[in-house]
Amino acid sequence: MPAPNSALRQALDWGSLAPLRLRARLVAEGVYAGAHRSARRGAGVEFGGHRAYTPGDDLRWLDRRALLLHDRLVVRQFETETDRALRLVVDATASMGYRGARAPGAKLAWAAVVAAALARIATSSGDPVGLTYFAGGDATRSVPVSAGREAFERILGSLEAATADGDARTDKAVIDRALGGIARAARRGSIVVILSDLLDLPDGAADQIAAVATGGRVVVVVQILDPDEAVFPFHGTMRLEAFEGGLVVETDADAARGEYLEALERHRVAWDRALVGRGARVVRAQTTDDPVKVLRSITLAAR
Amino acid sequence: MSFVFAFALAGLVLVAAPYFAHRLRRRRADSRFFAPAHLVPPAPVRARRKAALEDRALFATRALAVIGLALLGASPLVRCSRLALNRSSGASVALAIVLDDSMSMRAKLGDRTRFARARSGAIELLGSTREGDAVAIILAGDPARVALAPTTDLRGARALLESLPESDRATDLDGAIAVARGLVEGLPQADRRVVVLSDLADGHPDAPPLGEGSSVPVWNALPEIRADGHDCAVIRADRSGLRVRVRVACTPGNVAPRTVGRTVALYLGEKAIVDAAAPAGATGDVVLSLPADSLPKGQEPGALVARLLGGDAIDEDDAAPVIAEAIPSSIAVVVPSDSEIAATGGPPVVEQALRALQLDVTVRPLPQIPDRVDDLAAFAGVLLDDPPGFTPEERRALGAFVERGGLVLVALGPRASTPPLGATLEPFVMHPLAWEASAPAGVDPATATPSIAESAASLVELGARHRTVLGAEDAAAFTTLLAWSDRAPLVAERAVGRGEAWIVTLPFALDASDLPVRPAFLALLDAWIDVARARTVPRRTEVGVAWTFPDSRKVTAIGPGGDELPVAQGPARLQVTPPRLGLYRVVADGRVEVRVAQPASREVDLRPRRVAVAAASRVTGETVASVDASPTLACFLLALFALELGLRLRAGRDTDPSAPPR
Repeated sequence: MPAPNSALRQALDWGSLAPLRLRARLVAEGVYAGAHRSARRGAGVEFGGHRAYTPGDDLRWLDRRALLLHDRLVVRQFETETDRALRLVVDATASMGYRGARAPGAKLAWAAVVAAALARIATSSGDPVGLTYFAGGDATRSVPVSAGREAFERILGSLEAATADGDARTDKAVIDRALGGIARAARRGSIVVILSDLLDLPDGAADQIAAVATGGRVVVVVQILDPDEAVFPFHGTMRLEAFEGGLVVETDADAARGEYLEALERHRVAWDRALVGRGARVVRAQTTDDPVKVLRSITLAAR
Repeated sequence: MSFVFAFALAGLVLVAAPYFAHRLRRRRADSRFFAPAHLVPPAPVRARRKAALEDRALFATRALAVIGLALLGASPLVRCSRLALNRSSGASVALAIVLDDSMSMRAKLGDRTRFARARSGAIELLGSTREGDAVAIILAGDPARVALAPTTDLRGARALLESLPESDRATDLDGAIAVARGLVEGLPQADRRVVVLSDLADGHPDAPPLGEGSSVPVWNALPEIRADGHDCAVIRADRSGLRVRVRVACTPGNVAPRTVGRTVALYLGEKAIVDAAAPAGATGDVVLSLPADSLPKGQEPGALVARLLGGDAIDEDDAAPVIAEAIPSSIAVVVPSDSEIAATGGPPVVEQALRALQLDVTVRPLPQIPDRVDDLAAFAGVLLDDPPGFTPEERRALGAFVERGGLVLVALGPRASTPPLGATLEPFVMHPLAWEASAPAGVDPATATPSIAESAASLVELGARHRTVLGAEDAAAFTTLLAWSDRAPLVAERAVGRGEAWIVTLPFALDASDLPVRPAFLALLDAWIDVARARTVPRRTEVGVAWTFPDSRKVTAIGPGGDELPVAQGPARLQVTPPRLGLYRVVADGRVEVRVAQPASREVDLRPRRVAVAAASRVTGETVASVDASPTLACFLLALFALELGLRLRAGRDTDPSAPPR
């Protein structure tokens, strides 16, 4: 017996979001980013301030003059322009293949446009970019962190080949596979942008994502919803099948609308509490939103 | 509706099929993928609106399509009462529609009058005409009139039919059919027909069958409006002093039981003053006496109304306004007292001639000319045989009489030529006359006016030795109607005020000439009385009879409903034709008159006339009441099909692409 989401496995509904290359370039050009100062302080030529000495600090930066003046151990810090690696995490579970009647394309397609635009901005600044997925079809391939025009091309190719597949509710290791490497390899100052609908992720996914935000990494979670999911515009008796987990709900859409919207709001608050409280930033978007505006929100959140 | 048609219409039960299809489809919930399904609360089973109909527009479209298909299948079998032309040859048709707008058509047929049914029948007939057909409309109310000359403008004909009002006229079916036949016979269409839409109650139930021997096929298209029932009408109500004579006419036949219990009452406003039992018999008079103080002074004419209480087929003719009897329908004859009474052994010859004409005027001999104008008011004309001039009082009275429109005929003889001192023939003849022995043998018939031309030849040998010779100025003032062979006038006329004066240059005495015993003498008197009657239209006439105003320049007539009647320009006179019963207020050159249009007695006769077999048969009448709605229904179905395609297209566009196929 085929899985209920088998109809969506074949191809991603790009709708009016194709072609990705052109859309990503247009979106990226709508956002000014430019060079950015790194929050990382270390060896450099421009003084960046003092901080208290802690055991293990490099004794070369111990400020002896301040020790003589204030009788305190402080170390000098310097600022330096540096690369800031961008790690993109795109949710490619089956639910991301949904496209409602009013949406320009599937959620995954919309996320691909935003991800590609972010990659273009990063590569044009010289920052390295990497891409990984939550689940995804057989053709879905992660892209290791690298810089330069070639890195952007690889990311574009991966996004164009991506399909929505996989059940995160039954495959609990989906989050670990995607974020485990980032948590281990990403240095302080790295920016991690997670593009997901946050709807079908397994229990504990919020904690796993929030854990990445530690260690000086900037985590921006972009929740992408289809307008149907945001307003529940259906009427009459509905038989709703979840993409993941095999859940089937039969309901009266008109009567259930209010309760659904309340549940969606509780779901949002729970994610906010889990992410924002631990240093991550959350950006909400719908697939009908202008990607340029959402991209600006992401870049602002990442600073 | 035949059994076959009902059977074909049974297909309409299939209209339930789309309903059940939609209901059955709704028993399956609309299924779709939805990522946050776990956030949606499931509804209890009993709360699910499984039975609700959705896609209502699509359902309505499909149901209408089924109805249209059933009607399309059944329409060739339809036979209904809608009139339609059957074109056996397929050629264009010349159609003359005789529409009866007489009073008897006011009788109700269901909830509408027979006239309304006939008019709708005419419109139905027009609906089956095609381009190239010619249509004429003739109204059968008396007199028969051409409402629309033959035309191919079918839209105009329809507009005219819709605007035709009912009337209270009598019926002239024969005249209308003759007019209709004459109109279509000259048309180029080979297929010519006369369609009669009438109740056939023309007051001649024993006349030959309608349409018999007609050269153009006549079809009595609406036999269902054939007259039946019984009607009584108040024909006239005349007051003389405090006595009111009311004439009631009823449909002949078994009348007595119909009139038993019915009452004739006089109403002043809404108040009944006096009543009496209706007369027995088809026609009868009842005289009611008004109480002495029942009529207030200065009451409006027509305020008193005679009503026949109790119901019958036509309500409109059960009331008539009461007016005073003052109809100037008498002729005053003034003959010298020593005339030829002894010679004839009876009345003067002119009186005998007037009575021999058997006209509906009263001949009233007068011993002398009245010297007060009021004494002449009751006369339509005054005939003076060889008057010995007029005294001043007589001149004033006669002058005022003629000035007001009266007619005078003066025979000029030896007495007129030798009036006593102080007497003249003014205002008709202004100069002295001469009684001369210069009379030729007779008249020149070629000079005769048309009204007496036929018999003028009888005056070629008159046997008169003397005649009256007018002065030159008087001769120039008169218009000769008949001249002697030497061109001197024998009969002449001149206008005086609004009236006329006629003169004859011979007296009406047998010893003066043979004129009184010649046929032309009767023709002369007849022509003169015709003119007199035309000038003194009685105040009460049958509805539909034209009122003429020979010397009036401006006439307005206000009908019983307050509407102004159109004034027609007849030959040298204005005419107003009252189409409805009741009281009319006429203003002719500032002179106010009150006239009454009364029903024709024969119109009360509701016995229908027989119809020729050919005119009664729908087959031989070449018309079949059939309806072919197939083209309309086919277009309707095509539109529904396009509508359903549009609805399905829209529904497909609105469908979520992620939803599983239904």
